Amino acid sequence: MESVIVLLGWAGIFLPTALGAIGSIIGCGRAGQAATGALLDVESGYGRLVGVSALPSSQSIYGIVVTMQFNRAVAVDSAPGLFSLGLLVGLALLFSAIMQGSCCASAINTTKSKPEVFGLAIAPAAIVEGFAVFAFIFAIIVGGGIPGGTAG
Amino acid sequence: MTTSTNYYWLVASLPHMPRSFDVEQAPILRIRLEQRLKMLGAQDKSIVEQVQGFLLWDRQRPERTDEEVKREYDWLMNSITNKLVRDIINHRMDVRTITCALRRRRLGLGPPSAVGQYVGRIRKHWHHPDFRLAREHPWIPRVRETLDANQPLEVERQLLSATWDRWVKLADKFYFSFETILLYLARWEIVDRWTRLDESAGRQRFDDLLSQTLALDGDVG
Repeated sequence: MESVIVLLGWAGIFLPTALGAIGSIIGCGRAGQAATGALLDVESGYGRLVGVSALPSSQSIYGIVVTMQFNRAVAVDSAPGLFSLGLLVGLALLFSAIMQGSCCASAINTTKSKPEVFGLAIAPAAIVEGFAVFAFIFAIIVGGGIPGGTAG
Repeated sequence: MTTSTNYYWLVASLPHMPRSFDVEQAPILRIRLEQRLKMLGAQDKSIVEQVQGFLLWDRQRPERTDEEVKREYDWLMNSITNKLVRDIINHRMDVRTITCALRRRRLGLGPPSAVGQYVGRIRKHWHHPDFRLAREHPWIPRVRETLDANQPLEVERQLLSATWDRWVKLADKFYFSFETILLYLARWEIVDRWTRLDESAGRQRFDDLLSQTLALDGDVG
């Protein structure tokens, strides 16, 4: 039983990176597909379209930072905290990256015929990014209190 | 042809539909549209072919009998499972049936032996101005008045407008999906039909149909 708890603790350390990366893969994939499709229908502004499609990659970076913050020698008393925090922040990063990808795809689709609304069109993607940042920051703060951490 | 459709790519590669179908030219040429549709997956491709087949069948030849039309309609409805495709086909059939009934009544003829969900109701309420269908189809009173005013082009515009509004409303519910593409095609077909409307060509077509019908009557007699 003890080894299972420790195993979950190790999983909790890596979950933010893994789930964040999965979300970024899906999000960037969706937005990237929309960007390449839109390239067929525009005469200029190619770089901007492809650039927007990279926005959901930030969740992977947040996940890596949380994993580095959580990284410690896992013990029975720290494993439950690491697992539950790692899973929850990982899920938040996963869903935010997927939804941000959809927002970026919509922004790309809108911008191709109305380039003047580019700034407004990516606002929903920026708002979704804000929620990912909330989850990231509070995971760092709360994670500091788990035994074995810098604050623990 | 691919096994599955990349909806994000396909939807983003299509130019936006205009707000109204009353434009000078379609947003994308047929040949370009067909090129893009090559990116459809195998299953989606077969459904799109069914819809396109229906749209061709919709412009049927005059020598086709009512029995043949009914048989083909039943076959089509039995072979299609996609809900939106069934909705597109049913709506087109309903518009045709109701318009046909309005025209026949105006000419002093009896109810049409058409197909679709409203045939029974039209027979039952034959003498009601709108066949008691105005709640489901609010365009009927306007089209009836325009028919009475003998303005065929305006009738066509109102019929296309009713269908266009329905597809626009439905399209708001879908973003990057197969339904988005189906509704795009349904609207493109309306724009294409409207932009190709030509009064002189219409008169020629009417004359051709009339002579074909008279020739058929001559054969029967």
